[in-house]
Amino acid sequence: MRGLAESRYSLPMNELFPSPAAGRFGRRLKRERGARVPVTIITGFLGAGKTTLLKRFLGTPEGRGTAVVVNEFGATGIDDALVRSSADETVLLGNGCLCCITRTDLQRALRRMVVERERGELPDFSRIVIETSGLADPSPILQTFATDRALGSVFHVDAVVTVVDAATGGDTLQWSAEARKQAILADRLVITKTDIAGEGARSAMAAQLRALNPGAEILEAVNGELDPGRLTEPASDQRNAFVAEATHSDGIGSFVLTYDKPIPWVVFARSMDTLMQLRGPDLLRVKGFLDVEGCKGPVVVQFVQHLAHPPVELESWPDQNRQSRVVYITRNISEQQVRNLFTAIKAFV
Amino acid sequence: MSTASNPLNKSAEPTTWNFKLLAQNDLGGFGGMGEGMSVQIAKDGRRIIWLAHESAPKNFTAVDVSDPRQPKVVVQTDLPKPYMRSNSLELSGDIMAVAYQTQKVNQQPAGLELFDVSVPEKPRSISFFDCSGPTSRGVHQLWFCDGEYVHMASGSPDFKPSHPNDDQFYRCIDVRNPAKPVEVGRWWMPGTSATDNIAPPPRHPLDKGYRAHNTNVYPQRPDRLYLCYIDGGMFVMDIKDKTNPKVISHWTNSPPYTGFMHTAVPLFDRGLMLVTDESTENAGKDWPKLIWILDARDEKNLVPIATCPMPPLDAYANRGGRFGAHNIHENAAVPTAWQSDQIVIGTFFNGGLRAYDISNPYQPKEVAAFVPPPPKGTPAGAVQLNDVFVDERQIVYTVDRHTGGLYTLEVDF
Repeated sequence: MRGLAESRYSLPMNELFPSPAAGRFGRRLKRERGARVPVTIITGFLGAGKTTLLKRFLGTPEGRGTAVVVNEFGATGIDDALVRSSADETVLLGNGCLCCITRTDLQRALRRMVVERERGELPDFSRIVIETSGLADPSPILQTFATDRALGSVFHVDAVVTVVDAATGGDTLQWSAEARKQAILADRLVITKTDIAGEGARSAMAAQLRALNPGAEILEAVNGELDPGRLTEPASDQRNAFVAEATHSDGIGSFVLTYDKPIPWVVFARSMDTLMQLRGPDLLRVKGFLDVEGCKGPVVVQFVQHLAHPPVELESWPDQNRQSRVVYITRNISEQQVRNLFTAIKAFV
Repeated sequence: MSTASNPLNKSAEPTTWNFKLLAQNDLGGFGGMGEGMSVQIAKDGRRIIWLAHESAPKNFTAVDVSDPRQPKVVVQTDLPKPYMRSNSLELSGDIMAVAYQTQKVNQQPAGLELFDVSVPEKPRSISFFDCSGPTSRGVHQLWFCDGEYVHMASGSPDFKPSHPNDDQFYRCIDVRNPAKPVEVGRWWMPGTSATDNIAPPPRHPLDKGYRAHNTNVYPQRPDRLYLCYIDGGMFVMDIKDKTNPKVISHWTNSPPYTGFMHTAVPLFDRGLMLVTDESTENAGKDWPKLIWILDARDEKNLVPIATCPMPPLDAYANRGGRFGAHNIHENAAVPTAWQSDQIVIGTFFNGGLRAYDISNPYQPKEVAAFVPPPPKGTPAGAVQLNDVFVDERQIVYTVDRHTGGLYTLEVDF
């Protein structure tokens, strides 16, 4: 498999028809997602309140023009009509929103929605929200968006939002590896049903979630009421959020690597190529901004297991702070191991 | 196949993707716009866009777009005759050149007029360069960026075409003294003058003529003219000696395509060239009319390498009016024009306004689209976006050919 360090990201077309305005990763972008359709993934265990949250969001001005894709094996409560609709049929909701249920092929459903919008057969939509099955491991869905050959050239995952029930979520997180994975991979964690969960339930739930995912933003929603921006704001805008180290019984942990000096791209790329090839399944999610030697703006990097998103360079840094910062969520890979690898590669290059 | 129900015609949903519409102004009910768009920074600091109308009764309209959310008409002028159209204009500083074409040969006035627009409310005519004649319809298109020369597609009283459709050719007019414009050079495609010793070119099926259209010249290569010649394809011309333009190379896609090569925009730093065709028939009859990307590293051997992907024919052809390429933002060499060699923004009549990322020129990717609803009162049944200009703030101005007037948008990608 060709790696990051090889010609794929020293785009040959850039060398053949170079533009002085382009960086080594192509056109510099105003924002990480560029022109791609923004996607929010809402996940969470059965009955946690995903649909309630989503229904409330769809009625807000910010939710207008949202296309919902329900990746669900059972019935959904997003709209009474949809309980009766057949799979892969797109139905209009209120407030300019649409909904499609897919029980089989998420990629196909997403591509079809974009094609039908292009043909004028669907009303215009400005974002997609995917509501996953309660049993879903978000990793395969994230991988779906990782590469251009899949959906990565058309869609961009702005945020993974995991919904957790304050009343029963604590027990669920104890016994369900899927539930823990949903929490660990989240950019934002929304605690629901705090009104019925009892005294202290919220803070206990928050503590449990923070132990699993110290970097995620933790929010509360009663009856689905949540600032709509928490579902639409890209998670990359949280680059300055503090992330402490965490590990727990699955061997899953998170840590942040920071660098104060510009990094040679070849060092980062070869290190990550090595990690993906040797330990791909254990690189659950890696995301961050790099100050790459020779680049004007920050380079956004993202990896899901053995798949690397194409790096994108932004037009400029938001402020004077040019520190590289990459968050790693891994299984049985320590921060020291990754640092040692980078050091070894740097000496070798 | 999805069976989404919707309150509108199934195949006529408006689209706004990665553009943000700021405003629309129907220009006082005279919203039929041509392909002349140029932005001036007036002496008082206002930003004024000058727009040529597609046909009579109006000549040009100036719109204050200092706040693109609130465009305001500053002045709107009339053509003296109903058989005239202006259609094309350009500004250099405070001097504006306007093209006048007539419906038939031998009508007047037909030619080039220069205006002083230093007081936008009161455009003052400086001079008129007459191009009328027994075989001339006047000027169709002009290019004027350097304040010195107007490069134009025009007839003249002393040119007799070998075929009546071939009545306009390239003329270079020295306007360094704007009060006394003087022709310094001309060129026509061999065979199109009745005086040529070679056979006229064979007619294309739609026969829009072997005649000049866009005549672009850029400061990066002031000795080069990028000349599109409608059914004749496009020519790279050496105009170092303006009195004697010479062909460097020629490229055409027709046949088998249906002619009407419209605009050529070189991307000098990248060795590429953008070339557009114009759709001139309703209901997609002349499909496909495309934006072409050429490898122009060797100007003597232009190689087409890609086209910008079009929306689906069956989804747009029958919406009303034309569907296909026409104009693009041309990176005009003026301070108020956005410059980009990675993004192409073009108009496609009922296909709306579309932007393409050509970072990889072999695989252009559409990154934005704007297809507004049919403008009120349009005879076409759909929008017919006709031209586009992007200013240095990346505010996008696009105009409808019939009634919609001016739309202002922000880039959101």
